[in-house]
Amino acid sequence: MKKITLNLVLSLLSLVFATQINAVTHDHEGQYDMETISVDNPWVRSAPPNAPILGAFMEISNHSDGNIKLLSANTKGYKRLELHKTVFQGGMMKMIKQDFMSIPAHGKLTLKPGSWHIMMIQPKKVPREGDSVVIKLVFDNGLSKTIYAKVRKGRAMDSKKMMHHQH
Amino acid sequence: MLKKTSIVIVAVTIIVVTFFLYGNSNRDYKALGSQLKVSHIIYNPNKSLPSFSLVDQDNQLFNNDNLKGGWTLLLFIYTHCPDVCPTELLDMSTLKKLMLKDKAISTPKVVVITFDPLRDTPEVLKEYVRHFDKDFIGVSGEQAQINQLIKPFGAYYERVIYDEKGKSVILKANDKLPESALQDGYVINHTAWIYLINPEGQIFAGFPSPHNPSKMADDIKLIMNQF
Repeated sequence: MKKITLNLVLSLLSLVFATQINAVTHDHEGQYDMETISVDNPWVRSAPPNAPILGAFMEISNHSDGNIKLLSANTKGYKRLELHKTVFQGGMMKMIKQDFMSIPAHGKLTLKPGSWHIMMIQPKKVPREGDSVVIKLVFDNGLSKTIYAKVRKGRAMDSKKMMHHQH
Repeated sequence: MLKKTSIVIVAVTIIVVTFFLYGNSNRDYKALGSQLKVSHIIYNPNKSLPSFSLVDQDNQLFNNDNLKGGWTLLLFIYTHCPDVCPTELLDMSTLKKLMLKDKAISTPKVVVITFDPLRDTPEVLKEYVRHFDKDFIGVSGEQAQINQLIKPFGAYYERVIYDEKGKSVILKANDKLPESALQDGYVINHTAWIYLINPEGQIFAGFPSPHNPSKMADDIKLIMNQF
């Protein structure tokens, strides 16, 4: 009888702990999602089956009072991911590798064709249109976020506007 | 006296006719040029495209003759390009679909030449380019031939590698590529115009980036109708 009571108490205790841990984890994620960073419309541009490089695009919003930097992006099945920006300079379209991407306080950074993008190098298998690619974004201050980017066709509609402004 | 007068009359006639023809043709292209929305006429009748010899995606010879007999849209790309080149190819497939709707006019063929034959072999190009349209023609060949060919188009490029400290190093077209570069990878900064070649195989017009397929199609129709 004593044994049963002890077991019961232990089970109850572990349940309480587990619930608390869950609650803490949940709160953390909720906090990051709701208050600090949100990512909208993540997508990867569909590419030929032998494409050695893919591009990922999205909108990253910073809801906090301080500037945040995207430091890296990671995923499985690629040699590496790099942060890049396409710029028009000296008559050429240039790929400029970035150490980070800044998202200003209460601001938004849009990654789009012809501008900021995540370069996905050497896929083991090029995803098909309609597939989802899991990408982990790592920010400074230890924040990170996992996103599911849909593979779809894409044109540089927005970048055209940007380029016209440049001229 | 009569002979002298005849010579003068003939000479004057030749000068006038030549001037008229030359002036007229120039005026025609000027008039045409002013109607174009997104393209520039870069045709120079005194400067023909130098001869070149490359290889198409089926390992067949591709030279000046392949640009003759019909209109061609020509662009230079590389397949390790994450952003600009796929956009251009997508734009060309959109443009082709738009032009096919107009039954009264033929659609130019699309020729895609790589800046980067080291990595873009004919086989690689074939699979890559056909993803955008089954009729697009990928062209590779010797780097030296490509470097020569791009000059009259006003196209140029540079390779970007990274040193041990992660600092970018720019290599011009004729600079030697370190052996490690193929393993480590490199990007290419490049001009991104698309060119329209006339049925004589000569550069006729250029379209700077970014490209608007619908406006390009309108310009191409105007050019083809008035050439």
